[in-house]
Amino acid sequence: MFAFKRSIISLRSPLSRGLATTTEKPSLIKKFKIYRWSPDKPSEKPHLQEYQVDLNDCGPMILDAIIKIKNEQDPTLTFRRSCREGICGSCAMNIGGRNTLACLCRIDRDVKKDTKIYPLPHMFVVRDLVPDLTHFYKQYKSIQPYLQRDSIPEDGKENLQSVEDRKKLDGLYECILCACCSTSCPSYWWNQQEYLGPAVLMQAYRWLIDSRDQAGRVRREMLENSMSMYRCHTILNCTRTCPKGLNPGKAIAEVKKQLAFA
Amino acid sequence: MLVPILSRQIKSTLNKSLPKSLSCSQFHTSTTKNFDIPFLKQIPQPPGYIIGTVNDAYISPHASKTHGSLHWTVERIIAIGLVPLATVPFITGSFAPVLDSILATSVLAHSWIGFQACIIDYIPKRVYGKQHDYAMYLLSLGTLIASYGIYLIEKDVGLTGLIAKIWTGKKEEEK
Amino acid sequence: MLSTRLGLGLLKPSNKFLTLKSQQIISKRFINQVTTTHEREQEILTQQRKNRPSSPHLTIYQPQLTWYVSSLHRVTGVLLAGAFYGVTVAYAAGDLFNLGIDSNSIASYFQSLSTPTQYAIKATAAFPFFLHAANGVRHLIWDAGKELTMKGVYRTGYSVLAFTAVIGTFYTFF
Repeated sequence: MFAFKRSIISLRSPLSRGLATTTEKPSLIKKFKIYRWSPDKPSEKPHLQEYQVDLNDCGPMILDAIIKIKNEQDPTLTFRRSCREGICGSCAMNIGGRNTLACLCRIDRDVKKDTKIYPLPHMFVVRDLVPDLTHFYKQYKSIQPYLQRDSIPEDGKENLQSVEDRKKLDGLYECILCACCSTSCPSYWWNQQEYLGPAVLMQAYRWLIDSRDQAGRVRREMLENSMSMYRCHTILNCTRTCPKGLNPGKAIAEVKKQLAFA
Repeated sequence: MLVPILSRQIKSTLNKSLPKSLSCSQFHTSTTKNFDIPFLKQIPQPPGYIIGTVNDAYISPHASKTHGSLHWTVERIIAIGLVPLATVPFITGSFAPVLDSILATSVLAHSWIGFQACIIDYIPKRVYGKQHDYAMYLLSLGTLIASYGIYLIEKDVGLTGLIAKIWTGKKEEEK
Repeated sequence: MLSTRLGLGLLKPSNKFLTLKSQQIISKRFINQVTTTHEREQEILTQQRKNRPSSPHLTIYQPQLTWYVSSLHRVTGVLLAGAFYGVTVAYAAGDLFNLGIDSNSIASYFQSLSTPTQYAIKATAAFPFFLHAANGVRHLIWDAGKELTMKGVYRTGYSVLAFTAVIGTFYTFF
């Protein structure tokens, strides 16, 4: 009888079967303070709501934590997400004061400190962590981000490009348009309506230096005003915050040089 | 097992909603910028800053090189010019009157351009309309008066001479 | 018809009549159809946009060398330019209204102040000037296209701060 009970217990307990469980480690409770605002109650001011997550029961990235909160604690928490691997740019938000992708940002395992999660700075908030990126996309469309030629290629088939010319596009084409850089720029905070922002300007540069493109003059003329590009004062918050490691600040400096000397 | 019990415990403590005072800190809901200047009337902006439909591209302002690349180039030329002009007096001590006048004028031009950048950033035309223009007129007026003041300073001891006098009290060698 | 030929007759939803009825029941219970126009939808969207708050920026963004030094550059620039305009306009006003402002009067007034006040004024003049000047050179280096990496930004940033601290202290006291 006793032996029977013992065998039942041993079958049940994962510990005795040699599998790791969270019961082995003490729970590591981390506090998250997340910005909340609902358009269903617009008169209620936005506020920070605190959630507690056991890090030993959660994936390593911030996105894992907020999905866990949404699944287990508060289904009304709203945020954008898609690929969970840092390539779509949906989960861009301000974590711990820095703009980054939630799926690429590791949770700081120091439980004595809270992690604050805000939406991208100085953007209109649709709900909780979801910013309105409509104007950002309109600005991107305005720079005509497509190849423009008025002559057909020499061999009549392909727009040929040398290896060196293709290398010039490295570090520019990888932009996922997550808007982390633009929303980290204080100039973009104050003059969002007219200043294009680092993301869009870097794409403008990407098309300017594409050897296959023939609309360089038109592209340069678009930026010849006091607001569209020249609100950039080389603050360089953009390069600091890019989650893909790109350098919009350098791209903008090169555009300025091109406009001044070419 | 212990695992489901633990998570159930956490859930039960958290499902009792925390009092607002504990969990929340309030934020400003208004859409006005941080640099709200009192007494200056603002032109109301389109909601969400969106003009037209979501499919219309943003339309850039009118292109003019004087406000674009030429302005930038002039700004850099003055800044580059200021580097030797401002460092040499520290090293040599005294400064020829002609060079001193050039220094003072360049500092004035540099300050004008700097203030203009601040006005365009913080008192933009689309938000403040005419008041942007008034700010620029005030700046230009101040610059005119300041240029007369520079003329007087140059007649006296010169800018570097003035700073040296105040700094050291008597000697005009150091600085 | 085809499905009966293929012998799938039994697999089809049993009764066409029954499926239609269940669909009608579903449509009556769960689907709420509202006829609306594009203009009305745009109105709703515009109204929603008016209610949206702006997410916090300066208060929550992490203090970083990039934007802190840049804001210091602007603040010191405004201070220095303000002082420059102040002195020159005072000279002009002094001449126009015969207030007797010239280098000797200013220098003697400065000497009349207590020594700590003198050092305080010298510090408030020296530190901003050297910070703005050094950072100005840093900006010109960036405009040439150099040192525009994160390493370069931090390298030049710390050098500017060090330069300001050393030379500023030197000129405050000597």
